Amino acid sequence: MRPPPKSWPPTKGSEPLPNAPRIAPPVSAARPAGKLRGARALSGPLPWLLPALIMLGLFYLYPIAEALRLAFTDARLFDQATEPSLDSIRRVSQSAALPVILQNTLVYTVASVLGQLGLGMAIAILVVRAERARLRGTMALRTLVLAAWVIPAIANGVIWQLLFSEAPFGAINSALRMVGFAPVAWLSDPSNAMLSAVIATIWQGTAYSMILLYAALKSIDPALNEAAAIDNATGFERFWFITLPHLRAALLVNAILILIMTLNMFDTILSLTGGGPGRATEVLSLFAYNTVFQSFELGRGAVLSILLLIISLTLTAAMVVFLPRERK
Amino acid sequence: MADVHLEHIDKSFGPAQVLTDISLDIADQEFVVLVGPSGCGKSTLLRLVAGLDSVSSGDIRFGATSVKDLSPGERNVAMVFQNYALYPHLTVAANIGFGLRRMRMTRQQKRAAVLDVARLLEIEELLSRRPAALSGGQRQRVAMGRAIIREPAVFLFDEPLSNLDARLRMQMRSEIRALHRKRPTTTLYVTHDQTEAMTMGDRVVVLNKGRIEQIGTPSEIYNQPRSCFVAGFIGMPPMNMIPIRRSEDALWIGAYRLPLSDAQQRALAGYSNRDLILGLRPEHLRLRPTSGGVPAVVDHIEPTGSETLVYVHHDAQRLCLRAAPDVAPQPGAQVHLDFTLERAVIFDPETELALPQAAAHAA
Repeated sequence: MRPPPKSWPPTKGSEPLPNAPRIAPPVSAARPAGKLRGARALSGPLPWLLPALIMLGLFYLYPIAEALRLAFTDARLFDQATEPSLDSIRRVSQSAALPVILQNTLVYTVASVLGQLGLGMAIAILVVRAERARLRGTMALRTLVLAAWVIPAIANGVIWQLLFSEAPFGAINSALRMVGFAPVAWLSDPSNAMLSAVIATIWQGTAYSMILLYAALKSIDPALNEAAAIDNATGFERFWFITLPHLRAALLVNAILILIMTLNMFDTILSLTGGGPGRATEVLSLFAYNTVFQSFELGRGAVLSILLLIISLTLTAAMVVFLPRERK
Repeated sequence: MADVHLEHIDKSFGPAQVLTDISLDIADQEFVVLVGPSGCGKSTLLRLVAGLDSVSSGDIRFGATSVKDLSPGERNVAMVFQNYALYPHLTVAANIGFGLRRMRMTRQQKRAAVLDVARLLEIEELLSRRPAALSGGQRQRVAMGRAIIREPAVFLFDEPLSNLDARLRMQMRSEIRALHRKRPTTTLYVTHDQTEAMTMGDRVVVLNKGRIEQIGTPSEIYNQPRSCFVAGFIGMPPMNMIPIRRSEDALWIGAYRLPLSDAQQRALAGYSNRDLILGLRPEHLRLRPTSGGVPAVVDHIEPTGSETLVYVHHDAQRLCLRAAPDVAPQPGAQVHLDFTLERAVIFDPETELALPQAAAHAA
């Protein structure tokens, strides 16, 4: 990479319009040679990339590098002046909790991603078909689904905590009692708590997945479905042979985005179960949060964060391989 | 193979009435063209026959069976769409063979059937390509291949040539006709292009504002238009429509008298002393070498190579006539016109329908 040209930024008064975009200003014979060189350097790629590089470096690369540095120390949250050591890595890898945490993360992520994709697809198809049939209330349905998405994750956890509550006012249990079923220990039973966390996550994330798939569905030429109908394809065959292949890219991109969001999701669980009962719903991101902000173990938290990053990157890379390539 | 009967079909989308009382009988293996301006309901009618939309009232029969409650697949129709609607993720072979999926055939039989159709349409070398790698004309052929492979009872075309350039359109016109000769199948073909209608159809159905204006052979439609609309829509340039007045034994264009023959007088009996419209094709107006006849002034001429179109006006009435290619009157020149009244169609200005005289001169 070339170093930034000396004339960048131009000194005040050297340009007639200080706010005008400085894109290779017109070369005039009256300009001195030094200015000309600067103008030529400005037309290279670097000035265009610089703003993005600065932002990425400052807010993404620096924290990652800092986390990496902290991972090789035994830093605590309030005592960061420490020597380099492998202590944090050793303690994390020998932690008895880690296998449980990783298993929770796997169950929670797979169930949530599949649920969000499936439900999002179902609602998107419903909305598109309702629109084609010009049914009333389609717009309202679309808006209602989106409403869940704008609720902050913490609030989402609180809302579902009220719904799942095993106290007499718990909405779901009250409803179950009304229709004659026994109440369910949604949050206090370790085997149910994970299901509850997954339901709360799916409920909120479905809107996002629905919108992406809805856009992809809308871009399918309706004549293709009609042609298939004339070719005597059943509804399922039309979905399988026509709709699904067209959604492949959208589904994969969607899956990657949801996967990353779900892996990083800790706020909903934090406010819903706090990771409990015991460690029943404690996932990797929440474990890292707890390690830093409950146990003040900054070094170990950094190790866990790096682990989360590696998992995210690996899974994303694996899925990108399946993205359809442009073909002509 | 099937004859198709449309019986008193109405179709409305909400408050908008799109088709009104459409009745049409199509014989087995007949090639019928539906033609009309945009928004006349011709594509809607095709979709009703295909089963992609359902009729509001009326019945559709294939042979003796009512199909109006059957799904498109059950009707055994095939359709070629305006944008071809090829499955972009499938190869040409898979596109053509898609309709065979649910047929009881072995893999070899299916492959042979696809190859057979590909040979017929001369697209064998394209079978492994995807639609994105095909030209417009090739896509058109694949779409037809997908339609004919199932040997449908009825073949439906929805403006299949409108995305092609003029030269290719001409070529595909004759290819579709040739295909129909090789595999005779009842065909309903929708177009807004009157050339396609006139050159391809055994019979032509002219639609306007959701109603049938006229059903007839191309020659009937051209020579004996049943209404002012058909006269103006079919023919390029359209029929001249000239306001006239009828006296006992003649027609009057302003102060100029066109004498009527005895037969014409009989045919027009009952329309004495009335304002009428004289419809005359450009080829039935002639430049008179000598003076006499109806005078007119030349506005401009359009030499097309094979003929010259001469645009003239008489008073405020604009007229167009076909002349030999070597005729080139100067704009502004005074000319004299001969009217071939035997070929004229006379319309009632109130109903805009042709008078029965049309039948008289055909006899």
